[in-house]
Amino acid sequence: MLIKFTLNGDPAEVHLKSADRLLVDVLREDLLLTGTKHGCGIGACGTCTVIIDGAPVSSCLQLAALCEGADIRTVEGLSEEGMLHPVQQAFINKSAMQCGICIPGHVMQCVSLIEKNPAPSDEEIRASADSVYCRCTGYVKIMDAYREAAALMKKAGKV
Amino acid sequence: MNSRDPRLKDPKFDAGLLVVGQDVPRTDALPKVTGAAQYVADLHMPGMLHAAVLRSPHPNARIVSIDTSAARAMPGVKAVITGEDTAKCKWGAFRPDLYPLAIGRVRYVGDEIAAVAATDAETARAAIDKIVVQYEVLPAVFTLDEAMAAGAPLVHDDAPGNIAHEFAFERGEVDAGFKASDVIVEGTWELIRQWHSSLETIGCVAHWSNNRVTMWCNTQTPFLARGRYAVALGVPEAQVRVIQTEVGGGFGGKSGDDNCSVIAALLARKAGRPVKLIHTREEEFLASHPRMPMRYWVRLGFAKSGKVLAKEIRMWADNGAYTGKSQAILGAATVRHDALYKYPNARAKSTLLYTNLVPTGAFRGFGNPSADWAVEQAWDLAAEKLGIDIVDLLRMNAVEEGDVSPHNHKVTSCELRQCIDKAAELIDWKNKQKNKKPDTGFGMGCSVHVNGRRSFGDWDGSSAIVRINEDGRATIITGEGEIGQGTLTVLRQIAAEELGLPYDDIDITRPDTDVHPHSLGALASRVTYVAGNAVKRAAAEAHKQLINAASEQFKKPVDELTIINGQIGPKNGAESDFKPVSAVVRANIYKRGGEAIVGVGNWDNPSEFPDHSRFGNESGAYNFAAQAIEVEVDRGTGQVKLKEIAAVVDCGTVIHPSAAQGQVEGAVTQGIGLAMTEYFDWHNGMPTDPQYIDYTLPSADFVPKIHVGFADSYEPSGPFGAKGLGEIGLDAVPAAIANAIADAVGVRIHELPITAEKIHRALHPELYADEKQTPPAAPKTSVWTRLATGTPSGTRPFKPEWLQPATVEEAVQRYAEGNTAILSGGMAHALRRERNGYPLAKRLLHVGRIPEMLKAGINSDGALHTGAAVKQQVLHEMAGLRERWTALAEAFDAAGHDRVRQMTTVGGSLGPLIGGFDMPVAMLAFDSTLTMVSASGRRTVSLAEAFEKRFTKDEMIVCVDIKAVPPRSGSAFHKFLPRGVMETPTVNAAACVTLDVKGACVAVRLVVGAVSWKPIVLQLKALHGTQFDEAAIRAAVQPVHGLAQPMVNVRGSAQYKRNMAVEIGARMVIAAWQRAKK
Repeated sequence: MLIKFTLNGDPAEVHLKSADRLLVDVLREDLLLTGTKHGCGIGACGTCTVIIDGAPVSSCLQLAALCEGADIRTVEGLSEEGMLHPVQQAFINKSAMQCGICIPGHVMQCVSLIEKNPAPSDEEIRASADSVYCRCTGYVKIMDAYREAAALMKKAGKV
Repeated sequence: MNSRDPRLKDPKFDAGLLVVGQDVPRTDALPKVTGAAQYVADLHMPGMLHAAVLRSPHPNARIVSIDTSAARAMPGVKAVITGEDTAKCKWGAFRPDLYPLAIGRVRYVGDEIAAVAATDAETARAAIDKIVVQYEVLPAVFTLDEAMAAGAPLVHDDAPGNIAHEFAFERGEVDAGFKASDVIVEGTWELIRQWHSSLETIGCVAHWSNNRVTMWCNTQTPFLARGRYAVALGVPEAQVRVIQTEVGGGFGGKSGDDNCSVIAALLARKAGRPVKLIHTREEEFLASHPRMPMRYWVRLGFAKSGKVLAKEIRMWADNGAYTGKSQAILGAATVRHDALYKYPNARAKSTLLYTNLVPTGAFRGFGNPSADWAVEQAWDLAAEKLGIDIVDLLRMNAVEEGDVSPHNHKVTSCELRQCIDKAAELIDWKNKQKNKKPDTGFGMGCSVHVNGRRSFGDWDGSSAIVRINEDGRATIITGEGEIGQGTLTVLRQIAAEELGLPYDDIDITRPDTDVHPHSLGALASRVTYVAGNAVKRAAAEAHKQLINAASEQFKKPVDELTIINGQIGPKNGAESDFKPVSAVVRANIYKRGGEAIVGVGNWDNPSEFPDHSRFGNESGAYNFAAQAIEVEVDRGTGQVKLKEIAAVVDCGTVIHPSAAQGQVEGAVTQGIGLAMTEYFDWHNGMPTDPQYIDYTLPSADFVPKIHVGFADSYEPSGPFGAKGLGEIGLDAVPAAIANAIADAVGVRIHELPITAEKIHRALHPELYADEKQTPPAAPKTSVWTRLATGTPSGTRPFKPEWLQPATVEEAVQRYAEGNTAILSGGMAHALRRERNGYPLAKRLLHVGRIPEMLKAGINSDGALHTGAAVKQQVLHEMAGLRERWTALAEAFDAAGHDRVRQMTTVGGSLGPLIGGFDMPVAMLAFDSTLTMVSASGRRTVSLAEAFEKRFTKDEMIVCVDIKAVPPRSGSAFHKFLPRGVMETPTVNAAACVTLDVKGACVAVRLVVGAVSWKPIVLQLKALHGTQFDEAAIRAAVQPVHGLAQPMVNVRGSAQYKRNMAVEIGARMVIAAWQRAKK
């Protein structure tokens, strides 16, 4: 079946090999957008988080067929004209990564949080970061980056 | 700058360090935040095939026959291999006992039997299901006791008694030491398997060309992996090239003991095309090499003063079915701790036993967490018996610079006392102990670690090349590799500092065994210390060559020249006297007989290769750490709340402060996971659910405030005074937590994991007096279903049809046609497909775009209406919902996080009528009515009745209506999750209480979920007409105990769940009542 959606601002069309093909496989295998990572396949780890119509979802549980007409954003779509998105810059500024495999998930989760809630409290940041596993950092620097991201987003006039 | 740096005392040393000690931007940051970093699963090559592996479903069996003909005949299948296609070479780091694919015998559930490469992953998996294996199932050994028992079945025929390795030592006069002791403590402690759980699983892309194989691996140790993979493949090492991809977490789990990469290479050879093989998350649990569990008996003797006089240990370790690095881990767990305190006498015997379980291996800490789990708790017992504060006792016995352990560990730099003091200070230990709050406790633990270890022969060195290029930049050529710990950044800092070039002007290579000098890679906390020294030497050599070239060009003696910030010129010269480095390098090349600037640096750890009894100075330097922890225990549930943790590390000079903090923060968090969250249920030698459902990692909310500190320290043999720090932050965390729990409520935990149930049992034995043992049911989920149906990989023989009706009536009609599954958010279907391997039906009926089913709002009469296809997130954000139906809002909070609420719908949460789902439990606390539709029309039914009578086969839910809550009502919901938000509940409960104007109770409804196949709903009539009385509420809730019929699983025994059903139920009635009063 053929589905159409907007991907990182551009129109996209994909022939699904199967009606229940998962979005993560469409992104990684059909469109070769490998920035979105596959961590567990059951929606638990958050590594595959993308933003659909402004809300974060686990692309490993998202049936691509449900994305007809949707606005999908992945980590590849964040930077504009070679300039990093403020959230990406925040993760760099705070050394908020080690192995990095969870970082696209955290970055997307953070973007969706701050677009919705431009000045999140520490508690709201903790609750949001809580939904994406990180095996390396113990989340300290990651939560620092969420805070920094809110400040940079404000500065950049993105919220 | 480190105040202990001896150069500070040197008047000539005035510049200080410019790059070392600075938080420069991480080398790997940019590609990691943009998604550009190439991990092994991201590689795509022309003609690349995808692979899948058939694994043993039996813990011990003889393979009678394997028939691969049906798999080979499938279209798209390009190679099928079994043990017969291998060189039949056993391999392993120390004791070769593992075949790449089974030869005649399997020894654990997960053992590799056959593999397929096909044009896509689905075909490869489907082909796996077509391979027919006949087994003769043999008796298996699952525990240390079973493995040791007389006449036990042998895991390997050449290992009598199932002993894989054994060693013993006695240093000093142990018996005399105990004889002289005033206080003796002893005990036995046990550890469990912990998985690395890197969010990137193990994987490899392999390709043969010109009779050589190139393996793109996410390995931590490319050169060691190359050597072992060559043995496994039965080819000379020269035929194998390993290239390290980005590594998505290692922690020891990617240190070249896996069959995954070997199988990828074997398939690629047979198919003649590149092959990609990536572990699924489930395979990572079944067949990677988790932390080795140990049973650790320890006895310590002390003088009255607190001085330690003797130590004795007896240890048995569970190797699993194959050895990997486990015998070295056994060694570390036995001897290493003796370099932590001033033990004058020590005796040990350690035995490594084969079992029919997943093989164990290296994991951050490498045996030290097992030793610390036991011995650091024994120290805590001793402190109590001696009447000395643990902080003072550890301080008194801590090793110091210049000490030599009984095994000849030479302690060159040591600030353990500083670590202990700072850790206690950071959580305000002394003050808080004086004014201790009830059920709050403090615990401490210390640890020691090596900085590299002589393990793989008499060399623990590193070799590096530093080139200064004609463009003025320098390139570090090293095969050590980044696994996320910051290698690339730290080595660039060291080179920049040594060369006098800006950090941004230093490049560094990624490992490729064809290109780089021999390197051992990321293990044993060695890279900063060992590779850092090699890079520093190479940079010094390049620096020397550059200065010599400049000397010739400037016509000045070398000692009058200096390099500052990429410019060369005379010391104390004006800015205009300086030339860029690029000009000097270029001029040195472009002349007759010119030369490039290339420095080579070799550095071997100044350590000794230990003898068979592990005597010998394993490492040139040792790092130290202390952890102090504050906990609070909930006596009603046994749940432990970690309040604060301080971790202070002596790692010498800190080269990159934020990366160093990150190492410690991450290690502490893994230590918390080992202690409290990471465990499974087991059945017949395998986890009942090898996924992140039962096995949960600490998530952000579970991790307490972590204070990280570094001791002021300088290691003379380290680069700029630095030592390693990758592992040490983990080692003593579980023991420190256990010590704090003992301090808080007097419960001493001996066996990991620390669960709320263990603490609850110890605190309330009376609640378990009438306990009847309920045996756990055979597992029914995920991999078990697939094994039972003979489709272990779980692919489907068909592609489902997609139906998207526009109206409810159309949907009903399509549904009535049969073989159709309703789908709205799609999560249940995706999960079932992923986990069980079969879809709900051949036709998927997507009702998520039917307008009637998407309506939601609060009506003018104050009632809530929601269509079945409405997402939970919509209700979660609905204005006015929380004030009216607080319990429902709290159930949405408890759903986990916004991604779950965004993907789950009202109908999806109600449809399966599952007794543990949060939303239905909360809805049952109110008057909730479902509207159902089928071919025979519509009907309404109360939610409670729906749970009693279920739905008919052709019915579907259209909407839910919840009546307005009466005035003076309050409600509350709680999901009891001892291990954090990612878990399914032990118990969830909701209550709604309505009072009259005088505050007397009019109605109480209590719902308790997750302890029966349907939620328990009680109207607590005994409380009607009464005023608030906690004891009366608790008495009224008591019947829940008898009504609960909980399943026994990883979340608790039946009796614990019954007790929690009562406890959480009572708490909800109390909370709802208090809200009603307002």
